[in-house]
Amino acid sequence: MTPNDNHKNNLRQIFWIWLVITAIGVAVGIYGTPWLMPTAASNTMHLSILTMVVFTVAAAPVAALVYAVVIVALTKWRYRGEGIPPDGPPIRGNNPATSVWLVVSTLLTVFLLVWGLALLAVDNGAESKSEMTIDVTGQQWVWTFGYAGTQVHSHDLYLPVDTDVKFEVTSKDVVHGFWIVQMGIKVNANPSAITTTAVTPNRLGTFDIRCTEICGLNHAFMVTRVHVLTKKNFEHWLASQPATN
Amino acid sequence: MTRIKAVVLSLASVALGAVVIAAAGIALAHAQPTQAPLHATDVGTSTITIDGAPRTVKHVALTIGAYPDSQFATVFGENGGAHPDWVAYSNNNLVVPKNSLVTITVNQYDGGETLNNPYFGHVIGTIDNVAWVNGQKVTRWDPDHVGHTFTMRGIPGSGRSIFVSVPIPPNDLVDVCDPAEPDSSICAPQGTGYYPKDPVVVKFSFYVGSKGVYQWNCEYPCGGTRIGQFGSAMSTYGYMSGTLTVK
Repeated sequence: MTPNDNHKNNLRQIFWIWLVITAIGVAVGIYGTPWLMPTAASNTMHLSILTMVVFTVAAAPVAALVYAVVIVALTKWRYRGEGIPPDGPPIRGNNPATSVWLVVSTLLTVFLLVWGLALLAVDNGAESKSEMTIDVTGQQWVWTFGYAGTQVHSHDLYLPVDTDVKFEVTSKDVVHGFWIVQMGIKVNANPSAITTTAVTPNRLGTFDIRCTEICGLNHAFMVTRVHVLTKKNFEHWLASQPATN
Repeated sequence: MTRIKAVVLSLASVALGAVVIAAAGIALAHAQPTQAPLHATDVGTSTITIDGAPRTVKHVALTIGAYPDSQFATVFGENGGAHPDWVAYSNNNLVVPKNSLVTITVNQYDGGETLNNPYFGHVIGTIDNVAWVNGQKVTRWDPDHVGHTFTMRGIPGSGRSIFVSVPIPPNDLVDVCDPAEPDSSICAPQGTGYYPKDPVVVKFSFYVGSKGVYQWNCEYPCGGTRIGQFGSAMSTYGYMSGTLTVK
């Protein structure tokens, strides 16, 4: 076998390994990622899951190429002689390889940038069309929620389904992190400042709220729940609550 | 070094690391409050409404104290233990039976000021959302005049949704008893200080269901001068926080 034949044989092996690993990566991205993510209770979370799927699929061929080269290098190109292996011939320039590398890297990076900016634009747009505002207060180690235009406060969050909700988030003491897990929104709660985020819950049920900033002794217990109700049930709940201003 | 020896040593290193991590995890998972458990005493049965239906359940009671200095709470050891000047509840390891109505009595000897969140001036999650202060029924207390709170919630992932929060009004006599030689008719000596003989007595009841552990703490910022005043006694297990274990 000539060196040229040997080179083609190596490339062929790398290609087939790359193809198999890419297929596995794509399958994991399409089927495994949504399975690992929480149940979506908002369009924002749907988009987050879609982003995870697309980014995983996009990353699969890149990661597969690295794995393929590593596998071939470790199994076939491994030095099996005694002592220190001799150095290989110097490589000076490979225009086709460099061009492919630059073009593919640029395309992938631009794709990720455009995707991310597009989703941020969608997310930021949600705040401007909010139908109701919730005042969120974090303090060591409880969340409390005030419903704008009312005297009602609660320790569990109640939301009407299919309603654009804006959250104005602050803290009474240290920095906390307000995260509604299944709705895909998260923002820091800072003392003496108000941060905002927005979401439209589109699924009835009870979901999780957690603090994402280590905030002291009982940070791990700074969790509560959000109940997404029908609009009628939400109005009924709100009307039944005492003023707790 | 032979190849077999290298492989064995590598595997042994990995196994040792796994054992160390597992041991740390098991030790943390089984970490218990350092104080002896305070078991609730049986006081008979009571009929309460659970999920819209009347039910007769076991009724138990617990009594704890809230003190301006931990030297008054004997569980911390002689003269208050490591931090005799820290504010403290008398016990942080409460134990009650499952499916029971729990009545907690807090004997409050400490003073107080303003809550940083008036929401915790309300009585929340108790039977009928009420508490009894010196025998008087209340649903809220002036948030500018609160000593401590007893605020309890479920452990994450336990699936339990209990939330109980009760404001504990201040004992205004605590300032009277502050001098070196206070009026002995209203103040009693304890350790190197004095505290009011008569506490403010706060009672409240709530229902606990199946077995599990709930976490509670004070939401009045009484932990010293750190940001938010949640340092020292508020940031150390055993003083202003604890657990309620349902067995």
